[in-house]
Amino acid sequence: MKFQIKYFAAVLAAVSLFVSCNNDDDSAIVEGTHGDAELFFDNGVAGDALIIGNTYTNSNGESLTINRFNYIISNVVLIREDGTEYIYPKEESYFVINHADELQTVHLEGVAAGDYKKIRFGIGVDQQRYLQGETAQQSFWDLAAANDLTWTWSTGYRFINFEGAFTSTAGTEAKPFQVHQGSNTATDNYREVTLDLPTTARVRENEQPSIHIKTDINVLLDGDTKILLQNNLNGAGTAAAIMGGQNLIDIAANSLKMFTVDHVHNGAGSHHE
Amino acid sequence: MKNVLLAVLSFLLLLSCGNDDADLYEEINEQLELNVPANFPPMAQDISYNYPTQKGFELGRKLFYDGRLSADNAISCSFCHEQATAFTHHGHQLSHGINNLEGIRNAPAVQNMAFQSEYFYDGASNSIEMLSIAPIHNPVEMNETLEGIVAKLKQDKEYVRLFKQAFEDQQVSSGNVLKALAQFMTMIVSANSRYDKYVRNEGGVFSQQELLGMQLFQQKCASCHKTDLFTDSAFRNNGLPPNPNLNDKGREVVTGFETDRYKFKVPSLRNVALTAPYMHDGRFGSLESVLNHYSNGVRQNETLDPILNQNGTLGLSITQEEKDAIIAFLKTLTDEEYINNPLFYYKT
Ligand code: HEC
Ligand code: HEC
Repeated sequence: MKFQIKYFAAVLAAVSLFVSCNNDDDSAIVEGTHGDAELFFDNGVAGDALIIGNTYTNSNGESLTINRFNYIISNVVLIREDGTEYIYPKEESYFVINHADELQTVHLEGVAAGDYKKIRFGIGVDQQRYLQGETAQQSFWDLAAANDLTWTWSTGYRFINFEGAFTSTAGTEAKPFQVHQGSNTATDNYREVTLDLPTTARVRENEQPSIHIKTDINVLLDGDTKILLQNNLNGAGTAAAIMGGQNLIDIAANSLKMFTVDHVHNGAGSHHE
Repeated sequence: MKNVLLAVLSFLLLLSCGNDDADLYEEINEQLELNVPANFPPMAQDISYNYPTQKGFELGRKLFYDGRLSADNAISCSFCHEQATAFTHHGHQLSHGINNLEGIRNAPAVQNMAFQSEYFYDGASNSIEMLSIAPIHNPVEMNETLEGIVAKLKQDKEYVRLFKQAFEDQQVSSGNVLKALAQFMTMIVSANSRYDKYVRNEGGVFSQQELLGMQLFQQKCASCHKTDLFTDSAFRNNGLPPNPNLNDKGREVVTGFETDRYKFKVPSLRNVALTAPYMHDGRFGSLESVLNHYSNGVRQNETLDPILNQNGTLGLSITQEEKDAIIAFLKTLTDEEYINNPLFYYKT
């Protein structure tokens, strides 16, 4: 089956090459042609830029020095004005954002030419992919593991890995914190967000839109539901860890407001390299 | 379908590369036959994504028996999961792994895995394909990484050849290591005990005592040790007082919910006469002690399963004669064909 699809795609690609040769109108959508698109994730903290090592104080009265902020983006879908969807091939639709390593861009290749008004994507790994394990061709596990986005004591992916040190109103000495968001066999914490694009993203054979998305880490703990690190200290009181239970369900809900699209660049070339 | 494609592909390859590589394509990888035993519930895992093939199964078996899956190249899966004892770690309460380190749990039987929906005593995994990640990375079991294993196996020509034969993408990769192990575990089915032959009318004969034991089991035990898998894959507290040295919170470790404290996965009882010691921490050395626990040892606790607390009476009422009968019945669950099946063994 896979072979057939690939073959079909190859024929399509070949056909589209012919088609494009005598197409000189950039803005018209030529049926059956494809282009690239990119999503750029601009990570920030409640309006401030995210700088590793910098300290941010939230409305919970806690100050967080952030050392790591990595997450998984998946199952990207582009939506046209009439509501029809271009679904990026699921097998290739898992991506890692790693702030410290400046891995902030998701490249989409071979997207159907079109005018897109909305985007939808997942935060983390959906249950279907979990249960299929590593069936997908792309060996996503290795990439996720290299970016500290896997769990190994239980088997699965960390959707968000958010770590650093914090001080609270109650104490003065900074203590390490770890927020590891993910699903477990009791709760499915995978969520999808749909975002409006302020301007149309035009995908053409020689036009690559770049969708600039702002990510606000602050909402994870200081969103609709407030989560205090101070309330999640280990038995010895030396560090805070959030890796399970109700916290993950609350963080999943908070994360629905983590992303907004700031602007869209249309035209040729990459915009955020 | 797949076979046809493979055949076509290998034909094309033969055509295109002349005769120098012909030996790589001599064998066509067949899908294995996988029958659900008539007395079993349906499979709980969707194996259509990773349907066992001859080559995939054989590769998975080789990996299961290969010490290179651990950091010091000495601890294979089979080190803790021995076929002769239904793939448990015989004689160990708590498993010993790399550098002789001791874990906190007793290795359970590995059998009929595709029929189960949760794995490990705390449900740390619910996917037959992903579950191997846990023992491989556990610092007191194998202490390796998938990337590390792949790097080692790529050095070995034999493995490179076997992965090529087993998988469409032909790669030695993390994903394919997991898939091969899953195929092996999918195929190791235990369903030919005397009990199975009795319930399937295949000539299994039961004594009066064993018959009585079966009835008692159905009344007193089968609400948790359900179906012919003898587990409902649920997490329950069966009234064991927590071991203060381990302080193992069971299911709570995975979910983070206090309501899950001290709940453990109901284990299958197939081959149970072979799998001593018993319970998640291997605290009981015999089936007699297990039965004594259910009659006299059940402790009140917030999460104690209600089945074991009937109007304030803790545990199950079982007479000595009944205990003997239940144990006689449990012994009929031993499957000699399973523990002696040469297909499930690989000589390293
Ligand atoms: C050092 C000993 C050790 C090694 C090596 C080991 N295991 Fe285990 N295995 C255990 C223990 C202990 C448990 C129970 C752990 C728990 O419940 O948390 C277990 C549980 C399991 C289970 C769950 C069974 C069930 O009914 O839930 C499976 C399946 C399994 N192991 C397969 C494997 C595979 C595959 C490998 C090799 C990749 C492996 N094990 C290597 C000790 C080991
Ligand atoms: C309320 C549910 C429940 C009932 C009823 C129950 N069990 Fe269990 N059983 C469990 C759970 C849960 C475990 C695992 C506990 C652990 O390891 O902490 C278990 C473990 C066992 C084990 C250990 C298996 C192993 O491989 O370690 C045996 C043997 C056993 N039960 C036999 C019985 C018998 C016989 C009966 C009836 C007299 C019975 N059980 C009734 C829930 C139950």
